Amino acid sequence: MVSVTLKNITKKFGKFIALNNINLKIQEKEFMALLGPSGSGKSTLLYTIAGIYKPTSGKVYFDERDVTELPPKDRNVGLVFQNWALYPHMRVFKNIAFPLELKKAPKEEIEKKVKEVAKMLHIDHLLDRYPWQLSGGQQQRVAIARALVKEPDVLLLDEPLSNLDALLRIEVRAELKRLQKELGITAVYVTHDQAEALAMADRIAVIREGKILQVGTPDEVYHKPKYKFVGGFLGNPPMNFVEAEVENGYLRIYESRIPVPAQYKELIEKLDIKEVLLGFRPHDAEVVKGISEGLVGEVYSFEPLGREQIVTVSVNSGAFVKVFALEGEHFTFGEKVTVKIREDRIVLFDKKTEEALEFLEE
Amino acid sequence: MHDIETIPKKNEMVILLALILAASPIIITYLLLILSSFSEEMLTSLSLSSFRPTIVNWINVFKGKTAITGGITVNIWHYTLTTLLVALGITGLVVLISTMAGYALSRMRFRGRKKSMIFLLLLHSFPGVSLIVGVYFMYRLTLPTNPLALRVYSFLYVILARGALEIPMSVWLMKGFFDSIPWEFEWSGIIDGASRIKVWKDIMVPLIKPGIMAIAIFAFLAGWGDLIYVRTFLIDPTLATYIESNLEVEFTHLPLIAAVGTFYLLPTIIFFILAHQLLLKTYVGGIKG
Repeated sequence: MVSVTLKNITKKFGKFIALNNINLKIQEKEFMALLGPSGSGKSTLLYTIAGIYKPTSGKVYFDERDVTELPPKDRNVGLVFQNWALYPHMRVFKNIAFPLELKKAPKEEIEKKVKEVAKMLHIDHLLDRYPWQLSGGQQQRVAIARALVKEPDVLLLDEPLSNLDALLRIEVRAELKRLQKELGITAVYVTHDQAEALAMADRIAVIREGKILQVGTPDEVYHKPKYKFVGGFLGNPPMNFVEAEVENGYLRIYESRIPVPAQYKELIEKLDIKEVLLGFRPHDAEVVKGISEGLVGEVYSFEPLGREQIVTVSVNSGAFVKVFALEGEHFTFGEKVTVKIREDRIVLFDKKTEEALEFLEE
Repeated sequence: MHDIETIPKKNEMVILLALILAASPIIITYLLLILSSFSEEMLTSLSLSSFRPTIVNWINVFKGKTAITGGITVNIWHYTLTTLLVALGITGLVVLISTMAGYALSRMRFRGRKKSMIFLLLLHSFPGVSLIVGVYFMYRLTLPTNPLALRVYSFLYVILARGALEIPMSVWLMKGFFDSIPWEFEWSGIIDGASRIKVWKDIMVPLIKPGIMAIAIFAFLAGWGDLIYVRTFLIDPTLATYIESNLEVEFTHLPLIAAVGTFYLLPTIIFFILAHQLLLKTYVGGIKG
């Protein structure tokens, strides 16, 4: 197992900058998720690690070894593609055995290893089928088996679950995480699905427009987003944002005002900031009927989800926040309510740069 | 009740009739040819009055004996073999070059890639006849004197020259087929440790088998049906040159030639029956920039 270090990686396709000065260290045996919207460059970064793309500038290290100039086959990586790229004219056995055959491994060894990895992924009864005879979930296992059979130092996964149906995806992601920990393999996982990243990864790197916005544990990126974009990209529903003005120790949000959260008091004074964006997660607030201390608005909509419901509150024309409420509570459209936000969970962003205040001073 | 797309259209019969009518000159010609081959005399009109059935013509064809003028016999199987050699040679050449060139044009970036693609299309639009004088001069330049070498040389030359006419379009078609295969297959092979050639051979080529089949059939039919290049360059006669040369001869027994002609048509008909689905697909989806 190796660690992967990316140093000042820039990749250009013609004039288009796909990766802009990326620095990232993936620890040995770590499960790192590269999370971002489509076109953010996350797959490009993965393929740069694999060696399919060569960075325009910058270096890739496996441990201390500089592999920037090394072709993919000498890097000993396993890659699972989004469409799995199983060879349709080969049986499952041959598909899995292909990397070993290329290494000119002896026949008995190939057979032993293929059976081993097939057993581990519960596909040992499918070895003499063709890929098109398998279900999506089975095909995906074959793809993983093929990536694992050569015992790679790094396992790279490019949205491997996005072609599966929703229920299967949830099942497989738990299994995949377990597998990665059991094998103790360094894994890099590309996804645009924030739930997948939160559920599986040890750390998440959030990428947008070829830049890494934030790297941290799921907990960190979820609760302490460095940018408004990160907060808005993670969570379902995502983080709420409202514009606020700082006024003598208070935050004025349209007609309402709430005290500046304790953790921000010093910072706001020090930075001397007047306009901020206030962010909070839907489950870090509650909706109280009537007008009281907090964020005042009226009920715009409510969506029961079984155990709870999402209440959308209009705090001003065009400004909405979504808050979780318990199932039993009944709301009517247009009802006056107050949103009470947990003070310690509030995150303030600079309105201009959209960067969280606590990161601004760095 | 029919699903919406299978409702019979009202005008369908009318359209069908019109199509049959439009195709009738060709259909009638072929029918007359086939009927003549089973007749003692050539059928030259629709009256069929001269139709006296016999299978003598076919017996002679399959005996490999074809009497021309003055009782000279020729071996039809020998002609079939030469035709087959030319057709298969062209097929092999075209398939080999176009699968490799198509792959390169589709997958590799090199200087002049765009230009060579446009140039290929241009080449395709040249009629083969217009080149024949130049091609003939080249033929004369390297002509060997030893008779056996000359025969072999003429085979190779006709395969090369006629194949070259087929290659531009085939390369384009193959490029289209390679374009339709996702890059992931290739990357996967490379990650697995295969060289570019190995990826081409073990992954890409099997994936585009239908495309290879299609261009192979095109190339085969081009070689099988060619008259001008074969007549100009090949020392040995083929079925095409045999039929052509007998049309002018005064004492030819034409029904016999009709039987040879029908025999000559067989591979084409068989190929089209077997492969018409494939060919349709090729023309619909094969060509992409």
